[in-house]
Amino acid sequence: MADALRDKTAIVGVGYTEYSKNSGVSTLTLALRAIRAAIDDAGLAHGDIDGVACHRVGDSVQAVIVAQALGIRDLRYHADMFGGGATSTQVLISASMAVASGLADYVVCWRAINARSEWRMGGTGRAAPDTVEFQYQVPYGFVTPPQQFAMYSHAYMHRHGVTAEDLGRVAIFQRGHAMKNERAMMRGPLTMDDYLASRWIVEPFRLFDCCLETDAAVALIVTSAERARDLRRRPVLVSGAAYGGGHTLFSNQRADLTTTAARELSTRLYASAGIGPADVDVAEFYDAFTPLVLMQLEDFGFCAPGDGAAMVADGATSIGGALPVNTHGGHLSEGYVHGLNHVAEAVAQLRGSCGDRQVDGAEVALSTGQPGYVAGCSSAVVLKKGS
Amino acid sequence: MSASERPLPVPDRDSLPWWKALVRHELLLQRCASCDALRWPPRELCNRCGTLDWTWIPASGRGTVASWVVNHHMFGPGFRAPYVVVAVRLDDQDDIVMPGAYWGSGDGTEDGADLAIGLPLEVDFDDIDVPSGSEPITLLRWRPARSMAP
Ligand SMILES: [Zn+2]
Repeated sequence: MADALRDKTAIVGVGYTEYSKNSGVSTLTLALRAIRAAIDDAGLAHGDIDGVACHRVGDSVQAVIVAQALGIRDLRYHADMFGGGATSTQVLISASMAVASGLADYVVCWRAINARSEWRMGGTGRAAPDTVEFQYQVPYGFVTPPQQFAMYSHAYMHRHGVTAEDLGRVAIFQRGHAMKNERAMMRGPLTMDDYLASRWIVEPFRLFDCCLETDAAVALIVTSAERARDLRRRPVLVSGAAYGGGHTLFSNQRADLTTTAARELSTRLYASAGIGPADVDVAEFYDAFTPLVLMQLEDFGFCAPGDGAAMVADGATSIGGALPVNTHGGHLSEGYVHGLNHVAEAVAQLRGSCGDRQVDGAEVALSTGQPGYVAGCSSAVVLKKGS
Repeated sequence: MSASERPLPVPDRDSLPWWKALVRHELLLQRCASCDALRWPPRELCNRCGTLDWTWIPASGRGTVASWVVNHHMFGPGFRAPYVVVAVRLDDQDDIVMPGAYWGSGDGTEDGADLAIGLPLEVDFDDIDVPSGSEPITLLRWRPARSMAP
């Protein structure tokens, strides 16, 4: 039943808060502002939402609190997932399953974080999440996402001869996209000299290999494809969906640190949507760190293993290229909303509302969660322009 | 390393015997009683064959560099940048990869310049200072293998 969800549900509303380094408000307030904006975008009424779904790592308001604050008296669906970027599209898939099964009619998915002013992913002022393997990492000063991803990335770079300049080109093309995005936090030009001169964070990562830390929320409303036809926005269909198991240093079943869960997941994902990689018009790849973009180009089947860097150098991933990637600038340059801003950008591309950064003729988009390192799981969706 | 600053591991009920063995300078692995597959970190069930019975066995204490990172940023208290963390692939079984400290020159400040992926390492044990009254803690530190002999 690989295609059980195909085109059954749609994203009909998208809402953002502003992006900042200090929102000055609670994650509950951020969530409510983004959700209110998404309800308005969809042309729905307060009171239509009957399901809620979010992901968090102990850094944001609980889903039921948001449901109460929304005034949902008879909550029909509720998912409060522990997880980071790997879980971002999983929240959307879960909401689609709830809608397709009839559990709920309108499910709102969101991510709300004060990732700069309250709970920095980089570690400052933050207790380790309650992950059992942290006991084997904390005493060595090896805790934060940049350190963990640097470990896998270094193995990947060694295997395929990927250079600092190859990583720099990822940061640079995505900055070019952010410069066409009024929402983006980083809108100044970035040169290779700037990139190479940026300070080491944890080798092989320089500052510009690392995503931003942002205070923001993004919300998406999912309903059935049938109901979506009567709403004010052109629907964007959830056409394919897949979860995948990934690596951690502690998995005991994946000796190879250089490939991602996307390799297994992508086969199921494309089958669920009834397409292949050649059918994808635009890809929003989870990009906590630059090498993840290269790995996903390979593991989602857009090029052969080891050829991701060449694809970027050829310009294929820029707007106007064969496969525009991270058209909003991604986590590296737009802002960090833990994967949900990638889904929102994919929706905007399929609505045709991206202005200067619009990909011509975008009909099919891929949006991915963190590709399975560190979290030990991953998820991704194929979205399609509805009618 | 200063006892007051460095974050200490918090063993759980599965891992406590493993941490106690480190204090005796023994690196242990679990071995499945049915299929002989090795595993780490400590878990009750064999993920190959689903068997619950297992025994502790001593690891060889040898491995190779699967990857490493050089930390230049202040990621937490008690660490002085730059410092290296290695991911060591054990010779005992290639899907067992352990993070640990690297102790190349022996003075605790490392830039990783002498490391290479695939470099043979051997285990060493670092008895760290803990606050008085606390359980003793020993950590893994790895150094270049002195000889290739088993
Ligand atoms: Zn077994």
